[in-house]
Amino acid sequence: MNARLDRFSYDDAIVRKFLFATFIWGLVGMLVGLVIALQLAYPNLSFGLPVLSFGRLRPLHTNAVIFAFAGNAFFLGAYYSSQRLLKARMFSDTLSKLHFWGWQLIIVAAALTLPLGFTQAKEYAELEWPIDIAIAVVWVIFAVNFFGTIAKRRERHLYVAIWFYIASIITVAILHIFNNLAIPAGPLKSYSIYAGVQDAFMQWWYGHNAVAFFLTTPFLGLMYYFMPKAADRPVFSYRLSILHFWTLVFMYIWAGPHHLHYTALPEWASTLGMLFSVMLWAPSWGGMVNGLLTLRGAWRKVVEDPVLKFFVVAVTAYGMATFEGPVLSIKSVNALAHYTDWIIAHVHTGALGWNGFMAFGMIYWLLPRLFQTKLHSHKLAEVHFWLATFGMILYAAAIYSAGLTQGLMWRAFDATGRLQFPDFVETTMRLMPMYLLRAAGGGLYIAGMGLFGYNIFKTWGARPAAYDVPVIEAAPLAPNYSETPAPVSGGALAGFARAAWHRTWERLPVTFSVLVLVAVIVASLFEIIPTFLIRSNIPTIASVKPYTPLELAGRDLYIREGCFNCHSQMIRPFRYETERYGEYSKPGEFVYDHPFLWGSRRIGPDLAREGGKYPDLWHVRHFANPSQITARSIMPRYPWFETNALDFEGIQKKVDVMAMLGVPYGDAVNNAPTQARAQAKLIAEGIAAQGGPKGLEGKEIVAIVAYIQRLGRDIKLASAGTPDHAVAAGGSH
Amino acid sequence: MRLSDIMSGAGLSGYAQVALIIFFIAFLAIAVWIFLPSRRAAMDAASRLPLDNDTPPTSNREGVVR
Repeated sequence: MNARLDRFSYDDAIVRKFLFATFIWGLVGMLVGLVIALQLAYPNLSFGLPVLSFGRLRPLHTNAVIFAFAGNAFFLGAYYSSQRLLKARMFSDTLSKLHFWGWQLIIVAAALTLPLGFTQAKEYAELEWPIDIAIAVVWVIFAVNFFGTIAKRRERHLYVAIWFYIASIITVAILHIFNNLAIPAGPLKSYSIYAGVQDAFMQWWYGHNAVAFFLTTPFLGLMYYFMPKAADRPVFSYRLSILHFWTLVFMYIWAGPHHLHYTALPEWASTLGMLFSVMLWAPSWGGMVNGLLTLRGAWRKVVEDPVLKFFVVAVTAYGMATFEGPVLSIKSVNALAHYTDWIIAHVHTGALGWNGFMAFGMIYWLLPRLFQTKLHSHKLAEVHFWLATFGMILYAAAIYSAGLTQGLMWRAFDATGRLQFPDFVETTMRLMPMYLLRAAGGGLYIAGMGLFGYNIFKTWGARPAAYDVPVIEAAPLAPNYSETPAPVSGGALAGFARAAWHRTWERLPVTFSVLVLVAVIVASLFEIIPTFLIRSNIPTIASVKPYTPLELAGRDLYIREGCFNCHSQMIRPFRYETERYGEYSKPGEFVYDHPFLWGSRRIGPDLAREGGKYPDLWHVRHFANPSQITARSIMPRYPWFETNALDFEGIQKKVDVMAMLGVPYGDAVNNAPTQARAQAKLIAEGIAAQGGPKGLEGKEIVAIVAYIQRLGRDIKLASAGTPDHAVAAGGSH
Repeated sequence: MRLSDIMSGAGLSGYAQVALIIFFIAFLAIAVWIFLPSRRAAMDAASRLPLDNDTPPTSNREGVVR
C-alpha cells in the first residue's frame, strides 16, 4: 500500500458564497413571480410603467428562478459534493471565484436588461448577445475548473452524481451556443440566424433541454449525493442509477418538438418528440423509485428530519412532473393543454416541488456543516416545509383548474355549432378567482422562503470566529493510472504517452464524455437537420413577402414589450381555432421571421391573423387603454407608444442585418428610413382622418400598428387575388 | 446542385427503422454492461462513495500509521 498520503483541504468558502446567492436570487425571482401573478388579476399593478409591464417582467421571473436560483443551487451542491466525491480541492480557487462572480454579474445584467426590453424573444434564452457571450465564457470557466478537479482526483471511480454533472455541463454548452446563434444589429439587439419553423425547432430543442439539463440532470446529481448523505445509507440501486443516467442522456434530447404539437412544425418531428417523451417515463420513474427507496428502513427519520421531508416531497414532485410530462406530450392531450395554464401548473410542480424542495433540503443539511454550528431552528425549518408544501398544493390546484377551464371553454361549441364563448375575455374572466388563489399559494411558498432566510442568517450569525478547515488525507491515484490502459509497447510514441500532461489527459473521463457528446449530438442532428435540408418540410408560399421597414421596426417593439408572452401567433388546424382566429398557420408564412414569435401561452387571443381585423384607430385607442375598448381586458396599457419617438434612422441597420440573413429586401437596403417614413405618414394620416390623434407619424405607435395590421395578411391577400406588389409596397391600408 | 437537393432526393424514410435497431442495441448493451454479475462488487463499493467519512478533523488523523 502506498504509505504517502496527500494532505489537502476542501474549499467550502465558495460553497457558502453560492448558498447566499441561491437564497437571495431565489427570493427575488419568486417575488417577481408573485408580482406578475397579481398583475394578471390587477393589470394596473404595472402602474403604467414600461419596466413593470407583464411582458417584460415575466422573462425576468423565469430567468431568475431557473438560472439564478436553481443555477446557484446546482453550483453550490456541485462544488460541495464534487470535491468530496473526487477527494480533491477544486482545481483552481481563482476559477471558482471567477465562476461565482461572473455568474452573479450575468444575473445582474439580466435583471437590468430584461425590464428595459432587451430580449431575443426566445423563452429562457431571452438574454441578448453580449450577455450570451458572457454566459458561454463563465460556463467554460466552470467546465475547466470541474474537469481540472476530475483530473487531479484521488478516487478512481467517478460516482454517478459526477456523471450527471458532466452531462449537464457538456449539454448546456451545446444548447446555449446553437440556440443563441444570432447576428448583432446593435449593442443589445440581434436577430436569430434561423427563421420561422427552423427557429421554433431550435428554440424548443433548447427550451426543453434547458429543463432537462439545467433543472433535471444537475438536480438528479444532487439527489444521488445528498439523499444518501441525509439518509445515511447508499442509494437503493447503484445499477439503476447508471441505467437512469444513460437512458436520460439518450432520450431527453429528442423530446423538444412536443412543445410544438399541431403548429407549423412538420408532423414527423412532432411525432418523434412525442414518442421519446413517452419513453422518458421509464427512466424518470426508475430514478424516482431509486430515490425514494434509498430511504428504505429509514422512514422513521423522515418524521423527525426536515431535510428528509424536503427530499421526499422533491423526489415525489419529480415523479409527478415526469409522469405528467409524457402525458402532456401526447398530441391529443396537448391539444387541450397547449397555450393554457395547465403548462404553467406543470412547470411549477417541477420548479417549486423538485428544484425548490431539493435546494431547501440540501441547504438545511449543509447549514450546520458549512457554518460549523447547530441549525438555528429545527422548528422553523419544519414550518417552512409545511408552508411550502401547502403553498405549492394551493398554487397547483388553482392553476390546474384554470388551465382546464380555459382549454375547455376555448373548444366549446353550442347547439348551433358556433363557438360557445366567442369573446376571448370571457374565458379570461372565468380564471380570476383561480389567479387570486394561485397568488395566495405562491405567497405561502414565499413566506416559507422568508423563514428559510431567517434560519440561514441566524445560523450564519452563530458561526465560529474562524472556520475550522479540516485537513484531509488521501492517497493519490497511482501515477501510472489512466482511464484507458496505456499501450505496453516501447518506442517514441509510448514515451510521448508517458509524459506528465498526457497522464493528466488520460485521467479525464474522455471516453465517457465522448459517449455523452455522441448521444446528444446524434439526436440533435438527426432530428433537426432534415428541417433545414429537406424542402418538403417547409413549402414556400409565393405571396409571403418580407416585412416593410416600418413593420420590421414595429415587430421589434412587439419583441421589446414581450407581447409574445401573452399572445401566440400560431393557429392550430382545429375547427375551434379556425372559427375563432381564422385560417390555420402554414410553415411557409414564417420564412422571414427572425426570430419566430409563435408564443407558448394565450393569456390574450392569438394574433396570427390580426391584420385587418380592426381599423388602425382601434389599435391606437386599444394600446392607450385596452379595458376602454374591451371591457374587463387584463392587457396592460401602453401609453408610451404614442409619446416615444420612433428611431427611423436605426431601421436601416435592422434591414441590413435581415438582408444579410437572406431576407430579400431589395430596394429597402438603400433607403429603409425613407420607406418607413412614407408608410408612417400614410398610417398617421389615416388615423387622423378616422378622428384619432394627430401628428403620430414620428411615434412608435405607427410602427406597432403597421406590424399588427400586417399579421397573417399575406395569404389572405393571395387568396383574394390581390397582386403581390401591394404587400411588398406596404400598402396594407 | 445544392446539399438540400441531395438530401431531399435521398429517400431517407427507411432510416427510422435503422435508428430504432441501433438504439435498441445500444440500450441492451448498456443494460448488460450494468448488470454483469462480475461488476457487483465494484458497484457496491461505488455506491458507498458519498458515505466515506469526508471531513475527519485533523487531530484524529495525526500520527495514524497505515
